[in-house]
Amino acid sequence: MLIQEKFVVKAPIKKVWEFAMNPDEIGRCVPGCEKIEKMDERRYLTIVHAGVGPIKVRFKFISTITEMDEPKHIRLESQGEDLGKAGTFTQTSDVDLREIAENEVEVSYVSNINVVGRLATFGERVMRAQAKKIGEQFIRSFKERIEAKKEITA
Amino acid sequence: MEIAKKILKVKVNGRPYEFLIRPKTTLLQLLRNDFGLTGAKQACMDNSCGACTVIVDQMAVKACSVLALQVNGREVTTVEGLASRDGKLHPLQQAFLDHHAFQCGFCTPGKLMSAKAMLDEKPHPNEEEIRRDMEGNLCRCTGYTQYIDAIKAVAQKKEGSK
Amino acid sequence: MRDFEYLPTKTIHEACSLISQYKEEGKILAGGQSLITLLRQKLISPSYLIDIKGVSELDYLTFDEKKGLRMGALTTHRAIEKSSLIQNRYPVLSEMEKSVASVQTRNWGTIGGNLCSGDPIGDPAPSLIALNAKIKIVSSREEKTIPLAEFFTDYFTTILEPDEILAEIQLPPLVAHTGVVYMKFSTIEAGIKIVSTSVSMILDSDKVTCRDARIVMSAVAPVPFNARKAGELLIGKKINDDLIAEAAQLASEETNPTSDVHASAEFRREIAKVLVRRAVKEAFEKAKKA
Repeated sequence: MLIQEKFVVKAPIKKVWEFAMNPDEIGRCVPGCEKIEKMDERRYLTIVHAGVGPIKVRFKFISTITEMDEPKHIRLESQGEDLGKAGTFTQTSDVDLREIAENEVEVSYVSNINVVGRLATFGERVMRAQAKKIGEQFIRSFKERIEAKKEITA
Repeated sequence: MEIAKKILKVKVNGRPYEFLIRPKTTLLQLLRNDFGLTGAKQACMDNSCGACTVIVDQMAVKACSVLALQVNGREVTTVEGLASRDGKLHPLQQAFLDHHAFQCGFCTPGKLMSAKAMLDEKPHPNEEEIRRDMEGNLCRCTGYTQYIDAIKAVAQKKEGSK
Repeated sequence: MRDFEYLPTKTIHEACSLISQYKEEGKILAGGQSLITLLRQKLISPSYLIDIKGVSELDYLTFDEKKGLRMGALTTHRAIEKSSLIQNRYPVLSEMEKSVASVQTRNWGTIGGNLCSGDPIGDPAPSLIALNAKIKIVSSREEKTIPLAEFFTDYFTTILEPDEILAEIQLPPLVAHTGVVYMKFSTIEAGIKIVSTSVSMILDSDKVTCRDARIVMSAVAPVPFNARKAGELLIGKKINDDLIAEAAQLASEETNPTSDVHASAEFRREIAKVLVRRAVKEAFEKAKKA
């Protein structure tokens, strides 16, 4: 399942990078995020809960930064499972930051998610729609939080 | 959690039975595991293929998606109950043989039960009606044509037109 | 599937009492054509299953000239399909039910269960919404009646609280000059529907001006989708082919389909446009004769 998004944030590129690299901040943008914990320089442990109708899942996964080019590019590879054993997944995400004007950054990400197990059987269309919805919520929160921060610190 | 087993009273292929079963038992599991009636098949795990079709109170149903306890007090007919006691085949079974209707045979019991339920309710369907009512029984081998021909033959024969 | 306690009930009162006791730990079982599959796939695991299939007071189909149709939630799809009452009064429902799943599913599955599963590709919901359906929801606390159009909130999500049970579906009687049409598109005739639509149109006594129109679709949004703007475009106007085409285009633009293995979002949008155009035209023709 391929997910691609692009959005513009009104903040200097350095701030956007710092924000993106801060697990606490990112954690608050991800709907259903219970925790993001830094394990070491390159690895994070995350627990996220999600659901569609009567189906509830709790994903526990480890993300590893495999490529980093401050402040422009980051590649994350994640591997995880549903704690209720409904499925496992692997994911590769590329996040790119591009300064399009002073205090204006275009964030684009491309995510390749592979789900295996009962969750995949349930329906790719619903997962995709949920992933899209979570993505949209994430973008909204990301923009709100980083632009609010800027106002406070400016 | 100690789950309470429940009593199930059901008639299967004409005979009454009483069982004490775990609630999560599906009708398909009951038939295959407890009765040894393995005609009805488990295939898709998705309630979409019809290989598990049996007849409950004259209705064709998919046994994989019916809890056994839901047929309490009802009558179930499976493919094993089609032929008469003396071994004479049901007209549908004979027609399936005559028309080479099946190949691997996996979907066949389900097809027989769906067809029987249809003909019991409506003895002379036309081809369109047959095709529509048999939509719930998928087959990966045959391309369906011979199945339809076989059922048509029985539908027409009952009319006495042969 | 995982074990659960099985609690069969014979009355709506009993069922309400049990589900209010167990709430999220319990699930209502009717025909189980959606529920049992989820249980077998271990995607849900309630501790209690409250079986209401034996609650005969929820299985009925009655019609009154003034009040219209009252359908108990446990009415099976097959009963609706075969009912002469339905075929006389609301033939579009019988027509639609003919292509719901398969005979086997229709024999055991119920209209209430179908609606409560909240599946956006389900056909009954758009047809019932086009017919202005209301539903009665009961619990130990209260009884309420709401338009079916307000029932669905998201994929597989309805407004039902954990202790509520859908009890009845109500349809108003059809007025003169009403045409209702159900149309579907699938790439394989017996396969999953790519898009389906139900259109209802009421004409003025001049039989050319539209008094009311509803265009409702399945599989183009997270919920059964009412293309409101397209419907409103037609109201108060004289129906002609150009207007119909405009409404179809608008309806298509209102949709928000996703891509899946059966069809892309773009394909669904395009099919929606074509289906709506044809269905509105047919509803208009039917309304003229009614």
